[in-house]
Amino acid sequence: MRLRILAAFALLVGAALPLSARAETGPLVTTEWLEKKLDDPKVRIVEVSVEPGVFERGHIPNAQNVVWHTDLVETVTRDIASPEKFQALARRLGVDKDTTVVLYGDNNNWFAAWGAWVFAQYGLTDNVKLLDGGRKKWEAEKRPLDTRTAEAPPSRFTVAQTAPNLRARLADVLAVAKGERDAKILDIRSPDEFSGKIIAPSGVQELAIRAGHIPGSVNVPWARAVNADGTLKSKEELRKLYADAGVDGSKPIITTCRIGERSSHTWFVLSRVLGYDAKNYDGSWTEYGNTVGVPIVNVAGTVWGGK
Amino acid sequence: MNRPLSDETGALDLWAEGAPLSLDPARRLAGPLLALGLAAGLVAAARLLADQPQGTTLALSLVLGSLFGFVLQRSRFCFFCLWRDLIDWGDPRGALGVLAALAVGIAGYTAVYGAFLPDPSGTRLPPQAHIGPVGPVLALAGLLFGAGMAISGSCISAHLYRLGEGSPTAPFALLGTALGFGLGFLAWNPLYLASISEAPVLWLPRSLGYAGALAAGLAALTLLAWPLLRLLASGPPPATPRRLDVARTVFVERWPAWAGGLAVGALSVVAYFRISPLGVTAEIGSRSRQAAAGLDLLPARLEGLDAFRGCATVIRDALLTPNGVFVAGLVLASFAAALAAGQFKPARPTTGQVVRGLIGGLLLGFGAMIGLGCSIGTFLSGVMAGAVSGWVFGLAMLAGVTATLLVGRRLGALA
Repeated sequence: MRLRILAAFALLVGAALPLSARAETGPLVTTEWLEKKLDDPKVRIVEVSVEPGVFERGHIPNAQNVVWHTDLVETVTRDIASPEKFQALARRLGVDKDTTVVLYGDNNNWFAAWGAWVFAQYGLTDNVKLLDGGRKKWEAEKRPLDTRTAEAPPSRFTVAQTAPNLRARLADVLAVAKGERDAKILDIRSPDEFSGKIIAPSGVQELAIRAGHIPGSVNVPWARAVNADGTLKSKEELRKLYADAGVDGSKPIITTCRIGERSSHTWFVLSRVLGYDAKNYDGSWTEYGNTVGVPIVNVAGTVWGGK
Repeated sequence: MNRPLSDETGALDLWAEGAPLSLDPARRLAGPLLALGLAAGLVAAARLLADQPQGTTLALSLVLGSLFGFVLQRSRFCFFCLWRDLIDWGDPRGALGVLAALAVGIAGYTAVYGAFLPDPSGTRLPPQAHIGPVGPVLALAGLLFGAGMAISGSCISAHLYRLGEGSPTAPFALLGTALGFGLGFLAWNPLYLASISEAPVLWLPRSLGYAGALAAGLAALTLLAWPLLRLLASGPPPATPRRLDVARTVFVERWPAWAGGLAVGALSVVAYFRISPLGVTAEIGSRSRQAAAGLDLLPARLEGLDAFRGCATVIRDALLTPNGVFVAGLVLASFAAALAAGQFKPARPTTGQVVRGLIGGLLLGFGAMIGLGCSIGTFLSGVMAGAVSGWVFGLAMLAGVTATLLVGRRLGALA
């Protein structure tokens, strides 16, 4: 009984806490909270945008820039940044295990979420947050932008072991596709990519030889998790969105897309916001669809690119 | 130096020294009124664009394009004419104007770079700056572009502002440019595989640092300006100034080339800081690529093209693009400026103008495609950016103009 009262009390206090205090414990921070924390030495603000030049022409004051296609990857081996490379990056950004890292970016935080997934690979998980609404909301609320370069004192961060439970490999996905392992694969590409009508969105260079999707996977396009103002939908709405597609958190989830970046947005929603057991498959369709001898589903009947 | 700077295809610019305007007073008033209406229309359009979602960039592009068109028309900033004044008449004023633009641009870009990319020594390039691959194809691009300038009477940006002046050659030169872009796309893959893929992308600040690149750039401009300034000093004294009439000086008389150059330099820096480097061919290239692709004339892939810096020709689905509204603003503002000054003089094109426009335009378009930009995008914005490609294209362009003029005159085909 006493426990129950305590729990109820804790809930009440939690609900009564001002927004700013709650922001620090959850995976999302609000624009109001961040504007108050711009000069906080324990907060590091990092922009990860898709469009080059967006950061340079004006960013949130004191934000630092991370370029997703050079800073966070190994271009030659097609992998996420190596431990050494990531450690150097985190030190340059002045990020350590006790720093609150706020990631944000253009395009509804698409690549910022991917950044959060890479950070999580190296043990920076709970202290890494997304700015809810990203650049879009910050700009829409006419909050200030800056073009000066922030100079953070470097940290002494040392990289922890990578977190394999956050990353799915081809073998994991294949085991699910063949029914040897029980998990849900959530494909967040557009319905036309999922059905196999098209191999990839127009203008995209990196393709697979086949069109379609992984057997047993379900389709919820990533942007459906986002409101018009760029913020994430409420937990209840998100739960329902994925439950309607059969993903309710009762089984482990693997998120996938074309190259593994859009799917990390959904990974962030499932893993960090809803607390589901979710991994991101960064090989995605450009690996799976190209792999020899693996089953696919193509409802559009246009399996091969060539005729 | 009392001879006016030259304008379109050799015609002397009689307006520069205060020649009488139209004698008909009704027409004299109609022009400025129409110009005022056009200017109001441009402001209203910018206002409308700004209210669209993500419309700030489009609105600002329209404003900067309009200012650029105004400056080009007012100063008749035509690379071909300014160069010809120097080599034919020993008049260095135009060339000095171009050097002034470059000096302002180099200094301004350096200041912006310091904020965009504090350390230039890594592998990264500052965003969007026009730093292109340097190799034989770039030199070829400059030579052909220069030849196109000599044949059609000016470069692409000048044809655009002359469109607003009612030039009979400009429409054909621009049509030729679009076709030339198509030919450039067809030639791209072989050129890329044979040469461009191995051409280094050279950026001066990476090896010299920002201070070093700034000093080297200004020193090079000083070396180029030195003989020109001596030439200027040896010429006849400038005409005695009349009583200053501000409105007339700004809106009717031709601006001195140095004033045009300073304004072009300032606009370049603002454009780079807020949107992207100045360039006038991205939209033309993109639309002709779209048309050619739609007609199945292009190879399925243009290898490596969209990864290069310069006037990007990626096909966009949008009706309005920043470069599209920039160019529209340029032409309309030039039209307004010409109307206000009584310099809108449409004429029925002669066969010679049509033929020279089309042939010259083809060369301009082809050169601008394989050179990833024109006298503005690759030369001006490149030199300002500290790109070796800007210098190489610029020198090749001047060589192309000079050689074509010499040969064309010997054959009696060019004036």
